Amino acid sequence: MSDYILETEQLGLRYGAFAALGSVDLKIRRGTIHTVIGPNGAGKTTLFHCLTGERRPSSGKIRFDGKDLTRQPAHKRVSSGMSRSFQITSLFQNLSVRENLRLAAQGRDGLGALAFWYSDTHRSKHLEKADEVLDRIKLTHLANTDAGDLSHGQQRVLEVGMSLCSDPELLLLDEPTSGMGVDDIPVMTKLISELGKDHTVMLIEHNMKLVMSISDRITVMHQGNILIEGEPEEVRGDERVKKAYLGESGS
Amino acid sequence: MNTSKKQASIFSGVTLAALAAVVLMPLLLPSATLATEILIFALAALGCNLLLGYTGLLSFGQAIFFGGGAYVASLTMIHLGFGLLGALFAAMIAGAALAALVGLLAIRRTGIYFVMLTLAFTQMAYFLAYTLSDWTGGDNGLLDVPRPPLTLFGFEISDLTSSYAFYTFVAVMFMLIFVFARRVIHSPFGTTLVAIRENEGRASAVGFSTNHFKLLAFVISGGITGIAGALYAMLLNFAPLSNIELLMSENILIMTIIGGTGSLLGSLLGAGSIVMLGDLLSSVWPRWMIILGIALIAVVLFMPSGLWGGVESLIKRWKERRSGASEKAAKEAEAK
Repeated sequence: MSDYILETEQLGLRYGAFAALGSVDLKIRRGTIHTVIGPNGAGKTTLFHCLTGERRPSSGKIRFDGKDLTRQPAHKRVSSGMSRSFQITSLFQNLSVRENLRLAAQGRDGLGALAFWYSDTHRSKHLEKADEVLDRIKLTHLANTDAGDLSHGQQRVLEVGMSLCSDPELLLLDEPTSGMGVDDIPVMTKLISELGKDHTVMLIEHNMKLVMSISDRITVMHQGNILIEGEPEEVRGDERVKKAYLGESGS
Repeated sequence: MNTSKKQASIFSGVTLAALAAVVLMPLLLPSATLATEILIFALAALGCNLLLGYTGLLSFGQAIFFGGGAYVASLTMIHLGFGLLGALFAAMIAGAALAALVGLLAIRRTGIYFVMLTLAFTQMAYFLAYTLSDWTGGDNGLLDVPRPPLTLFGFEISDLTSSYAFYTFVAVMFMLIFVFARRVIHSPFGTTLVAIRENEGRASAVGFSTNHFKLLAFVISGGITGIAGALYAMLLNFAPLSNIELLMSENILIMTIIGGTGSLLGSLLGAGSIVMLGDLLSSVWPRWMIILGIALIAVVLFMPSGLWGGVESLIKRWKERRSGASEKAAKEAEAK
């Protein structure tokens, strides 16, 4: 078993002449919280979309657990052990919180969920999983509330909870604190560092306080390529990172 | 929705309500034939509801499955000597196969393009049926469709010649399919369909290959609609070309929407009200479809969850008032 759960090899994505991703070699070590940061337009989201399977890279390879899944469609990556959350909250708004989680747990069955001849409560493992995650994200008291009626902060927590239901080895979180109020951010910070104990977590994030406090490794991206990678202290002190954020590129 | 609660059996609740309606209809309606027609269209609306109400797919292809089922049942009875159940089975397979074909191509697109593809298929099917007049009778329709007796294991149970006997047979078929549809809805598959309706992107992100689910929804819907078409041909002893017209798709959709999408009883209510409205008004006023238009506008504007949604909110209000009244009575009793 390799030390790295996810590796990209010269990953690139071009839109015509524009290279959204140049040539990215990213390695994510098992059991770490690995954050990707960078100024707007650095290619973080493009990289994320290539990893989740939403975009097909134009060059390079993605290896997960040693297997090449560069061309695997998004929904199949779930049963490989990869799971994601969305930057813009994407829930089943008119269904209860518990049903949201139960469906997410059912997703790992893939085509097994085509079964139409027995009751959805007949096999209770998905419900048990949902209740376990409910407890973990501390939304048990809201289990029967419609997801759309939750506060924004709670919806963001549920958004992360959804990605937990498939028992993933690797969690890909796309700006988990996006749009959250100051009061809610500590809840999310605590949740992610908790998750880091059982899962490998790769996240994209803008909130520097959160990033610096929970990350084991940080990769800084700039103009479609990796600028530097290191531990939080190294990144914090790096001159090139400061320049990139201040927009002094090319000077 | 409370999923932790032990789920109600598929044989109770709305199934009992449907059973009550099926038993009462021939007693209250002027003829058993009218009641039979209602149940047949309720089946077609049920099939449509699986797509529109549960999966969120607006399909104008339902006439293909309805008309296809009617033709296949008629032709297998006339030329191959199929019995009642054999012909219905053939119609179900034909409806499912046609739906698989339409579904396979149409679900490659979403939204308005999906709708346009189903429209185009219906137009094609209509002209195909029109052209193949040696088989379908073309404009004149397929005449002399038999209604074979119901036999099980070689025993003749009923000759089905009386309209009440045929109604009873259709009613049994309806209840079987109604229970089957409830099983489908409350299965892993059915709950995934709702997930796709609610948010297809998320459904795919949690691991469902959504196109497979949509395709199976199409196949099941087509099979049910095919059976409805076959029963309609047996009722009329005739398979008209209008079975496979775009207008048939529209009628089935209107029944589904007026009754209420996303509830199976709604389909029965929708089919019942439209068939009865047509029966009442068509003899008095040939332009009665205008009223249908007004009814559709009213339902869409004022009862977005359809007639059944309206009934449900009335029941809820009545229950609230009753519990409010009993609380009040209890308080008064306490005060004394």
